[in-house]
Amino acid sequence: MLKVENLQKNFGNIMAVDGISFEVRKGEVFGLLGPNGAGKSTTISVLSTLLPPSDGVVLFEGKNIFEEPKAIQSKLGVVPQDIALYPTLSGYENLSFWGNLYGLTGRELKKRIEEVCEIIGLSERIKDRVDKYSGGMKRRLNIGAALLHMPELLIMDEPTVGIDPQSRNHILDTVLELNRQGMTIIYTSHYMEEVEYLCSRICIMDQGKIIAAGSKDELVEMISGKTEIALLLESMDQEIVKTVGSIKGIDSMVHQENQILIRCENADMILADIIASITASGNHLRSVDVKKPNLEAVFLHLTGKALRD
Amino acid sequence: MKIRSIIRKDLKTLLSDKKALIIILLMPIILMVILGFALKGIFIESWEGSKVNIAIVKQYVAESDLKGFNDALQNSLLAQGMGADTASELSDASDEVDPENILFNEFLGSTEVSDIIVYRIESEKNAKELLNRGEISAIVVLPEKYLYNMKINLLTPFRNEVEIKVLTNPDATMDGQIVNAIMQAYSDSMSSAIIGKNVLIEAAMANNMGNDSFKGMEAVMTGIMAALEAVRVEVDDVALEGRKPIMSSDYYAAAMLAMFILFAAGQGGRMLLEEKESFTWQRMMVAGTSKLGILAGKFLVIFIIALLQILIMTIFSQLVLKVEWGDFSSIAGIGIAAAFAVAGLGTVLAAVTYRMGNFKIANIFETGIIQIMALLGGSFVPIDILPNAFQKLSVLSLNGIALKAYQKTMMGYGLEAVVGYIAVLAGIGAAFTLLAVIILMRKEGTDHVKHYQAARIKA
Repeated sequence: MLKVENLQKNFGNIMAVDGISFEVRKGEVFGLLGPNGAGKSTTISVLSTLLPPSDGVVLFEGKNIFEEPKAIQSKLGVVPQDIALYPTLSGYENLSFWGNLYGLTGRELKKRIEEVCEIIGLSERIKDRVDKYSGGMKRRLNIGAALLHMPELLIMDEPTVGIDPQSRNHILDTVLELNRQGMTIIYTSHYMEEVEYLCSRICIMDQGKIIAAGSKDELVEMISGKTEIALLLESMDQEIVKTVGSIKGIDSMVHQENQILIRCENADMILADIIASITASGNHLRSVDVKKPNLEAVFLHLTGKALRD
Repeated sequence: MKIRSIIRKDLKTLLSDKKALIIILLMPIILMVILGFALKGIFIESWEGSKVNIAIVKQYVAESDLKGFNDALQNSLLAQGMGADTASELSDASDEVDPENILFNEFLGSTEVSDIIVYRIESEKNAKELLNRGEISAIVVLPEKYLYNMKINLLTPFRNEVEIKVLTNPDATMDGQIVNAIMQAYSDSMSSAIIGKNVLIEAAMANNMGNDSFKGMEAVMTGIMAALEAVRVEVDDVALEGRKPIMSSDYYAAAMLAMFILFAAGQGGRMLLEEKESFTWQRMMVAGTSKLGILAGKFLVIFIIALLQILIMTIFSQLVLKVEWGDFSSIAGIGIAAAFAVAGLGTVLAAVTYRMGNFKIANIFETGIIQIMALLGGSFVPIDILPNAFQKLSVLSLNGIALKAYQKTMMGYGLEAVVGYIAVLAGIGAAFTLLAVIILMRKEGTDHVKHYQAARIKA
């Protein structure tokens, strides 16, 4: 459906997107995962024809979107990270305006507004002014404004930033429901759990580049067998770091404040040795957490830093 | 379709903004009422401008008047029992009680009046031509037998009515009012008991009337005072060539209208950047709306707001303040052209503000430039009273052009007299709009993106 080839976007000397390539298949939820500043939003801006690329090609259903922007614009819905609404107008007036811009009028517009209100769960408050809405309601209306014209491809840029867990869950369920109805979705987030929950295929971006791509399982496979053990100690000293680090079977180890993170092939084999060495040193162990591999671990493995750094 | 939606949305947004509504609609109406009434009579007291040129037309013939006066002394006064000698002495003394000297030298030549009025003696025909060409602001017409009647009034117990006319140029309303007021002051001072008494005593003493002469003093003086009362300056409101002079309420109705439509441009000047900062601009672009389409929407929104302001202010002033705006087609033409010019100005502001990425220009326009334009254009005080250099600068003010045009229609001029102003306003609107398109369509630099990124990081 959408094919991105060697896309580059630079602002002066800053290379925001550095030659990325990926493909979004019809009917999937495609995730763009990466920390703030990774280049996700710039990529989204280019895909939505808001910014011209410095280099590269983006094909939508085989057509170059920069040569034929109308080809994608009418079939594309974009949910920006920021609330792009008119606060002094009602929810209904906002939806009506955005529907008009996509060519909807009269009964068709009214019908679509009603349907969208159902999807985003705002039917009861739709006549209220937007500045009277909670953060979560604004986020949902922000999504609704992109759904009116029933886009084939929906791009959602960090749609859950800064909202309560209940609204967040509602949005995630909405995304899955839209996908079930056949909508193709590109979902960007720096929340690993959301991408894991929603996306069938994922690109992990960092510093303008795609550092890994594939299904969640494929990505986790990159660090297969790698288990993470998180130890929280009473106090930290070089002696204990040295003692634990000398235990056989540990692949890598980092420590910060009172915490030690260990990556190893088989936690069961070495966990007892680790606990014994800490106890022998006279230190006290506050907690032990054995984590299975996830996207956070993948990102950490690939970049040496956490997603939220 | 998209432009119509943008207009509808912007109008709804603006109408939900109480602060904007107060500035755009309520303020001008309040100021229109306050200024119209408050400044009704204070123009002259506050006048500190350049001198007013007037022409004085003598409709009398001095020699004939003097001869007539001497004949009257001989006949009428003698008939009342005045001795031949006394009549002869009065005749001789009439040289010292010279109405021309009193008007031209003692009054118009006084320091106070000559600081304000410069007069010249002209024939009636020349004077009217000068008035029509705007080279003078008023004509003072001294009527036939002025000298004769004034001498009779000043030196004899008889009373003859003297009617001094002041013709003013409606285009110079302020100057006309000044001349009228000064000539009224002349009349009042002539009427005062002190001057009357002095004149009487001078005349009596000059004629050696002695104690016998003073026997009838009381009656004579009463007669003279009554006669002086009769010297009235008739403020001739009959307009030049059938034109109607403008009252303060008329003037300020047009002045406030012309000034406050500029605030529509100020409001419009913020619209593009507000869209950009709220990310609705980007969303509109993604929806396939072109920059030109968005700009056209903003232009039309400002145009409609300005038209709405003009309509409301015109109707209000006509119904409540009884302002007579004049020919409908002319005021409609001026209104549309003024709104067009304001819309052009607003879109330029919007484009520049968008490019700059901050509201400094829009703020400066609203807090400074509108006030300067209001001053230069005559929205605060009529430009007639400003120094000449300021008067020349008034052509730079959009509101000044609109105000001049409205003044014409208020005076009774038709469409042909204001079509030039309409063309200038339309030209300004077109030029500004073109400039706005050029500014907005320039290649988007990285500022836009930096701003976008900065906003994102902040979020």
